[in-house]
Amino acid sequence: MTNGITSAVAAPPSDITKRSLPASIVVHTLLIMASLLMLYPLLWMVSASVRPENEIFSSTSLIPSSIDFTSYVRGWSGLDITFGRFFWNSLVISLLTVTGNVVACSLAAYAFARLRFAGRNFWFAIMLGTLMIPYHVTLIPQYVLFLNLGWVNTILPLVVPKFLASDAFFIFLMVQFFRGIPRELDEAAMMDGCSAWRIYWKIMLPLSLPVLATAAIFSFIWTWDDFFGPLIYLNDMDTYTIQLGLRTFVDSSSTSDWGGLFAMSTLTLVPVFFFFLFFQRLLIDGIATTGMKR
Amino acid sequence: MTFRVSRRNFVAGGATLLSLSALGPGAFAADARLRLLWWGSQPRADRTNKVSDLYKAKNSGTSITGEFLGWSDYWPRLATQVAGRNAPDVIQMDYRYIVEYARRGALAPLESYMPSKLNLDDFDPAQIEGGKVDGHLYGVSLGANSAATVVNTVALQEAGVEMPTNKTTWEELGKMGAEITKAGKRKGFFGFADGSGAEPLFENYVRQRGKALYTADSKIAFGADDASEWFDMWAKFREAQACVPPDVQALYKDTIDTAPLTLGKAAIDYAHSNQFVGFQAVVKDKLTLNNYPLIKADSKGGHYRKPSMFFSVSAQSKALEQAVDYVNFFVKDPEAAKVLDVERGIPESKAMRDVVAGMLDDVGKIPLNYVANLGDLAGPLPPPPPSGAGEGQTVLRQLAEQVAFGQVTPADAGKQLVDEITRLLARG
Amino acid sequence: MRATADRAATAEQYQGVVADSRWRRLLAANGPGYLFLLPWLLGFLGLTLGPALVSLYLSFTDFDMIRSPEWVGAANYVRITTADPKFAAAMKVTLTYVVLSVPFKLIFALLVAMALNKGVRGLTFYRAVFYLPSLLGGSVAIAVLWRQLFAGDGLVNAALSHIGIQGPSWISHPSYSIYTLVALSVWQFGSPMIIFLAGLRQIPTDMYEAASLDGASKFRQFYKITLPLLTPVIFFNAVVQTIDAFKAFTPAFIISGGSGGPINSTLFYTLYLYQEAFGNFRMGYASALAWILVLIIAVFTAFSFLSSRYWVHYDD
Repeated sequence: MTNGITSAVAAPPSDITKRSLPASIVVHTLLIMASLLMLYPLLWMVSASVRPENEIFSSTSLIPSSIDFTSYVRGWSGLDITFGRFFWNSLVISLLTVTGNVVACSLAAYAFARLRFAGRNFWFAIMLGTLMIPYHVTLIPQYVLFLNLGWVNTILPLVVPKFLASDAFFIFLMVQFFRGIPRELDEAAMMDGCSAWRIYWKIMLPLSLPVLATAAIFSFIWTWDDFFGPLIYLNDMDTYTIQLGLRTFVDSSSTSDWGGLFAMSTLTLVPVFFFFLFFQRLLIDGIATTGMKR
Repeated sequence: MTFRVSRRNFVAGGATLLSLSALGPGAFAADARLRLLWWGSQPRADRTNKVSDLYKAKNSGTSITGEFLGWSDYWPRLATQVAGRNAPDVIQMDYRYIVEYARRGALAPLESYMPSKLNLDDFDPAQIEGGKVDGHLYGVSLGANSAATVVNTVALQEAGVEMPTNKTTWEELGKMGAEITKAGKRKGFFGFADGSGAEPLFENYVRQRGKALYTADSKIAFGADDASEWFDMWAKFREAQACVPPDVQALYKDTIDTAPLTLGKAAIDYAHSNQFVGFQAVVKDKLTLNNYPLIKADSKGGHYRKPSMFFSVSAQSKALEQAVDYVNFFVKDPEAAKVLDVERGIPESKAMRDVVAGMLDDVGKIPLNYVANLGDLAGPLPPPPPSGAGEGQTVLRQLAEQVAFGQVTPADAGKQLVDEITRLLARG
Repeated sequence: MRATADRAATAEQYQGVVADSRWRRLLAANGPGYLFLLPWLLGFLGLTLGPALVSLYLSFTDFDMIRSPEWVGAANYVRITTADPKFAAAMKVTLTYVVLSVPFKLIFALLVAMALNKGVRGLTFYRAVFYLPSLLGGSVAIAVLWRQLFAGDGLVNAALSHIGIQGPSWISHPSYSIYTLVALSVWQFGSPMIIFLAGLRQIPTDMYEAASLDGASKFRQFYKITLPLLTPVIFFNAVVQTIDAFKAFTPAFIISGGSGGPINSTLFYTLYLYQEAFGNFRMGYASALAWILVLIIAVFTAFSFLSSRYWVHYDD
């Protein structure tokens, strides 16, 4: 039968059918309660986005007294620039970042995990070192560097570093995963005369779909949520990303548009959520061939 | 499989990247291009952009790019741009920071443009002084305001308490506050917000005692006993439940929407007069403004009219003349004044005040009248704060919180305040 | 004669070939590695090393970002370690945050990942639900949400009052505010959970089948199969989450409004750094603070890697 694959998808020991009904109910109840707890703040935000503005902070219940979408309209088109523009900007930057990260970091991770070369441990330690530096510190020197390159007020400072594997987190993540893949596969391929590149392309990457999908998801979401980078490098309002746009709703010295903020915040969750849903299939399906390719 | 997708993405991504980089900031090339940076929210941005349009109509060939951010994002953006020699031409400036930027040479001195290019004739001379640091003019005031208490008239009526007047003393206010709390007409409601950590309030207090926060030569101008009595007064208010308890006050994050008044916890709060419109927008009840309480029935000089914010010009600007011209237009053109009205404060130019006065609605008239009618409650403008004064604000807030939460006694807090501030000023 | 000349020529050629092939060997041995590493290497040398070195230099200066830096030697470091009460406060707050949030976050992440890995009905839904909080990241909306939950009259207290507990204002009381930040971090356990899921999925299922055929209980299977095979992932998550917790900035910034209050009870280390750099124009001092943080994290990471020899199992 397709034993390997179905059990990979439906996973280890207990099948659903074998579990007793009370246990199943308990598990589901716990999960549902946990879900509510996790979701409560989000539900509050969605509710706040559809209720009349002066009710947002005064009422404690989740159910609005009346549903009213003006916050969405105002949030979307109330600024000089429609929010759609911000969505587009964020999308472009995020997709470029994902591509850069997945490609560049997997290359570096493969080198660290599988290839031997002089100085490997040294460079690995350096790579980890870059994880530890808080970005506020290298901010000004980097800003000056990009300024001299003429890249300020473009998306280049935000995107190019990704193609140069600047997110050590993903390199580290992929190294850990690559090291979990049996070396025998590499050795067999090498005996067949495969070059390092072919092993990377034909063996490593296909078997690492879960971690690549993970990297893609995280990469997308973190970029989507990042505001400090765009704050510093994007001056023109029509290049603003979503997070920057959201922050213009709130100003401590004058009036803030909380309804608009919550409406747009809710809206910004949508693409990320779909990105996540799309890629998480890879997390399930990808594993079906682990260890099977012999 | 996945790799073909990746490769496709890669190629597509690369192409997009190249084309996007080609788009770049073409605007850098244009002649007479001004960059403007201010803080505020969309309503303010709408007004500012309209004024820019008016200016462009009168000065064809100029292109103006306006950028704006919220207050807390504004300062890191500005700092980074100044550090990177990429500062905007016209910068909105705040009293707290103008000294820091001016003394470090980031702003252009403007007095040489007066009076021909920059005509501030009908400004109150004291308000022009407010933008001067070390004898040079670095900022043109965009509006005057003064500190004030914001009073919830409806809540006071409910509790059967009389409205405070311009002669109300702290003692009287304390009694009023306790009454409001006792009346208990609203859940978790108290008389007034805890202002022990608010610098404008404290400054007003020491000024009424004939002192000040800082001297003109950057030394501390009040003593430990002033501070201790201040903290002690508030400790007594807390005991009498005239003001909100410390954990409610600690929710306040210097924004209108976290103020105890807005959160529905207090009937009286403290603000700058030009924030009145903002407060009224988020509070259902009718509000009004009043001055800070007096220490004694005949105290005076606590208040002062201060510039709410300035426009400064960057010392690095490549379009100095144009920038100054724009600033002049902003504060002296009647059409501009109509667009801006009192959103940034009461216009400094008398001519503009006259233009605007006729247009204000009831809510807008309140801050105007308040500032105009201060009389001898207002004294002279203090000298520009020394370097380190901004930290002094934080120290005051922190010590006040420590007293409120019972970690430090008022007497000790007073001493510590003086010590810390003296140390800060010495550090420079 | 001819033979010697021939031999000499051959010898020369031979040496040339040997030298050539030594290069070629070096290239063949190290070439692929460096070729794969090239993007990262370029990025590091070009974009990271330079700024990092500049920042290290700045930490020995007085730099207000506008005027030129002024050399002050180790003065910044001395002040930090001997005369800065805010540094001590920030360290305390950050350590509390790390020690509390990381273990809880990882435990929840692992437990939920395991629960979801068992093929529960509605798996996709639950997985998305548990990940959603992480999507909110550093949103400004979080400040409001958290206040709605944890203020004196917030929902948590409303729930507690049903069981007779009169809660304080968690989010604005100096003794409790840090716990609301820990809660925020733990609430966003979706990221390590996803990583654990990926790791669990990578464990070949035939191992479990073989084990259950041999009669091993589920608990034994977890202990003998899952846990050891999962150690690389656990290690990764532990190290990365700890580093992230040390560097955490946005939650404290948003919830305290940038003040780190009340009374420095939410003054994360990087928030203090930010205040010094952008609030007080002391970039040199802030750089010194940053490098001290790097040192602390480096020590911790080195220690983790050394200890990993004893408990992490790699398949290679």
